[in-house]
Amino acid sequence: MKKLIPLLAIIAALMLAGCSQKKISGPAPGSQSEMAGEAAKGTEEKDLAGAKEESLKETELAKLEKAEPDRPEMAETEKLSDIFFDFDSYELREDAKPVLGQLSKELSRNGEALLIEGHADERGTNEYNLALGDRRAASVKKHLAGLGVAAGSLETVSYGEEKPMCNDQTEDCWAKNRRAHFVFQRAK
Amino acid sequence: MRGFLLRGEKTGQSKPCPYNQKRKKYHDKYLKLLMYFLFILFTLTGIFSFPFVSDAKLYIDITNPERRIPIAISPLAGPLGREIAQVVSADLNYTGFFILLKEEGFTELPHQDFNRENWLPAGVLCVLKGTVSLIGDELEAEARLFDVETGDNLLGKKYKAPKNLLRSLAHSIADDVYKEITGVHGVFRTQLAFITEAGGAKDINLADWDGERPRPVGLAEKMLLGPRWSREKGARALVYSAERKRRWGIYKLDLDTMKERLLFMRPGTNLAGDMSENGEILFSSSFGGNPDIYLLGQAGGIKKITNSGTIEVSPSFSPDGGRIVFVSNRGGSPQIYIMDSNGYNISRISFSGGYNTSPSWSPDGERVAFVGRYQGRNQIFTVRTDGSELLLLTSMGNNEEPAFSRDGKLIVFTSDRDGKKAVYMMRGNGEGQRRISPAGVKSYGPRWSTN
Repeated sequence: MKKLIPLLAIIAALMLAGCSQKKISGPAPGSQSEMAGEAAKGTEEKDLAGAKEESLKETELAKLEKAEPDRPEMAETEKLSDIFFDFDSYELREDAKPVLGQLSKELSRNGEALLIEGHADERGTNEYNLALGDRRAASVKKHLAGLGVAAGSLETVSYGEEKPMCNDQTEDCWAKNRRAHFVFQRAK
Repeated sequence: MRGFLLRGEKTGQSKPCPYNQKRKKYHDKYLKLLMYFLFILFTLTGIFSFPFVSDAKLYIDITNPERRIPIAISPLAGPLGREIAQVVSADLNYTGFFILLKEEGFTELPHQDFNRENWLPAGVLCVLKGTVSLIGDELEAEARLFDVETGDNLLGKKYKAPKNLLRSLAHSIADDVYKEITGVHGVFRTQLAFITEAGGAKDINLADWDGERPRPVGLAEKMLLGPRWSREKGARALVYSAERKRRWGIYKLDLDTMKERLLFMRPGTNLAGDMSENGEILFSSSFGGNPDIYLLGQAGGIKKITNSGTIEVSPSFSPDGGRIVFVSNRGGSPQIYIMDSNGYNISRISFSGGYNTSPSWSPDGERVAFVGRYQGRNQIFTVRTDGSELLLLTSMGNNEEPAFSRDGKLIVFTSDRDGKKAVYMMRGNGEGQRRISPAGVKSYGPRWSTN
């Protein structure tokens, strides 16, 4: 028993010492006494001679080396009027059909390629509007193919809300921006 | 153990008294029990304190902050020490977790040693002090964070930077203080990428987290969207979409070599959505006939994730990469959906309003920020991933493209409330909305880096 007491005392002391080196994390801050950790003063003192060090550097941005897509340059002419769409819709309206009929005749006559641009008004977000413009151009292409135009001569691109005709925040302007625009293309 | 001398017992003759012996036995037994009890107590304390041990003394649980921590940021002793402290103070103040003691309340001068007696009356819990020297054009700062209650030095570190990177040096100090007190890295060391437009030409800029010191990368695009930071470890790269020669392409710019690579440009509208830790690109494309979501592998292979005749767009990975949030109009109007990364288990999470787009995950994977059309304009909402707890965060002008900081506490977004589109930031509860892009320059598409 007599030998056991000092042994227990040593073990208990070691346990306590281990405790004191650990800091106990608290919940949301309460009174100051709750915040008190058990770190003994001095044991956690970080000697600046051995402190961590951070060196900040910033190099000048070098000149950007672009990856140019391998695509042909085209000569472009714009002759026909745009056709228009309802809000959040890519269905062709009845008033678009005459324009598209005229377009298909023009294409079969001059054999040029046609770029169909799909646009949207600025009210949605950029990415969704790009998808909307994409589907608007696709509707036009499908209709023209149905009228006998060779699909290979029809190219589509969506510009979403990125290339508006007008910038007013009015229903009138928005209606003008919800459009498909036509660009005849001839290889340079 | 000394026995008791019984009355009448003559000294020199220690004849153990039966009563004494009983008492001694009792004392021995009691002591034994006490020692055992103490032993067990200390052992158990040792064992049970283990799960609660952490390197940092957590003053704030940022998942549930109940009150603000009063702290003091002392100007560093030395040249430009005040300027450094001002940037640190502004950073910490913006988070809304701290109350900064005004300098009029300081009784200790910057060059004096820390003495907790000087700070106890002011009721601050932590004090930041330090020194700074300017050697030629090089700043060398030493910052220490003290616990006023115990007097302990919680953080002691040296920072070196050229003078023109003073703000970056201060942001590093602020982030180390933030990490020490909250246990997580905040936004201060991260970079902000955003698009600016001038004279019809669009470029991507890299700036400090707070929009200061923007540097253009050197693009001049007619159309440019959505820079996304690479999540690959150790890589510094941006993925974005640009229209060149009548076609949208997905490009990746390595910021260390400044070399751009064309990743995908099939005929159709190709929009970069996100990049995984493995360098795979999640994107939307209409090359299959109508906009769907795809995954581009490192080796160039393409996997189709959604397959429907409707519009599927704006995908991004959950923080653990296991799920994808995206926009679809399969229900008749654009709404927010979540699915597993393999395309299964599609579920809708937005149910209010007829036009919800532009989703973005919070870093803990619990919430999604998105844009909902509300009372005629675009506003930013957050919602839990099960569709509950819908919160409206903005109200002025049109507010779009929300994205969280890496600790999930702040949101950066685009707003046209002042006329032109500009980059703004706010706290996660909608407080503190302020512009951080350059005044008078059309800016949008902001994202904080993830490291």
